[in-house]
Amino acid sequence: MTAAPTAVSPMLLRLAEERATGVLVRDHGALYLADGQVVHAESPAAPGIEVLLTAGGRLAPEGWQEAVTRAGARREVARFLVDSGQVADGEMEICHLGALHDAAFFALAPGSGPTRFRYGVAHWIGAVRPVPAVAVAREARRRRGLLDSVWPHSEVDTAPLRCRPSGHGATATPRQRTLLELADGVRTPSAIARAVGRPAFNTLLEVRRMAAAGLVETPSDPAVPDPAPLPAWVADFAVDPDIALLRRLRDALEASL
Amino acid sequence: MANTETALKEAITIEGAIGAALVDYTSGMALGTIGGGKEFDLTVAAAGNTDVVRSKVRTMEHLGLKDEIEDILITLGTQYHLIRLMKGRGSNGLFLYLALDKDRANLAMARHQLKKIEAELDV
Repeated sequence: MTAAPTAVSPMLLRLAEERATGVLVRDHGALYLADGQVVHAESPAAPGIEVLLTAGGRLAPEGWQEAVTRAGARREVARFLVDSGQVADGEMEICHLGALHDAAFFALAPGSGPTRFRYGVAHWIGAVRPVPAVAVAREARRRRGLLDSVWPHSEVDTAPLRCRPSGHGATATPRQRTLLELADGVRTPSAIARAVGRPAFNTLLEVRRMAAAGLVETPSDPAVPDPAPLPAWVADFAVDPDIALLRRLRDALEASL
Repeated sequence: MANTETALKEAITIEGAIGAALVDYTSGMALGTIGGGKEFDLTVAAAGNTDVVRSKVRTMEHLGLKDEIEDILITLGTQYHLIRLMKGRGSNGLFLYLALDKDRANLAMARHQLKKIEAELDV
């Protein structure tokens, strides 16, 4: 339930020391490293950067699609969005950092299975602002501590969000009401985060606050399913991507457009 | 168009500045910090001050005030702490945090400069 006080991932720190480049894959997410620094992170439990960018109409979904199509192969999607004037420089940085730490929080969840590392893999989002691995690990630990200081019952993180009948004085903030409106007894906090286009951690924090205030139910059954693990193929990708094949594919796709 | 680094670099040039941070107030994470030091851990200050902002927002809701916080000033014996909430379209709960040395700072000027930095960051 509570975070172990030990290092989140000794392997991450070792890879940082040897200035490794590649992707670190754990059960609940992946961290991309370049020269030992974290340049991106992804987790099925956290909305991707495209969700955060397109939420609230900041960036049109077509704009995102175009950036992926035109700059994905050369791994400069973020650069493309900034250079084409669709996203401001500072906005991209802040959004990317938000997505990175959000996914890293889940990827670095304690005890989440084996850790694998593929050397040489880079993410197509491209360079935004690298974060030292120790800073990412420290932030993930701080976040875990913060959640537990609010309401030390991690069951609410993964269970479908259920409102409790009110009448005991506690009221939800406007931000919390937005989340409660989506609580249909099926959606988990992660699903709600994706629906509102906000980082999953921020949603978890609000959910724990609401649970502490008695606004949502805390399941008594701790046997809740884990957040979706990464699909198996993520770890199975070839160490050496077949560049020639990918180029042919791209050319064929472009020709058919 | 400023990025977070240039915004923070500009913040630290404000007369009397000890440290500055750009903070996500929901998670309490400092997205960037500048200055500070051993005696002044800006990441701790960032996390702690999110509670200040949250508490004030909550109080305003209770009071039924339909208004927004521009900035929050905390005056210590030897320092000013200035919190400026960001209003840009994407700044879903970000604030700039600036710690100033009271003897060297010009408060009115610092507020004005911080406002300008916020506008330039435009997130």
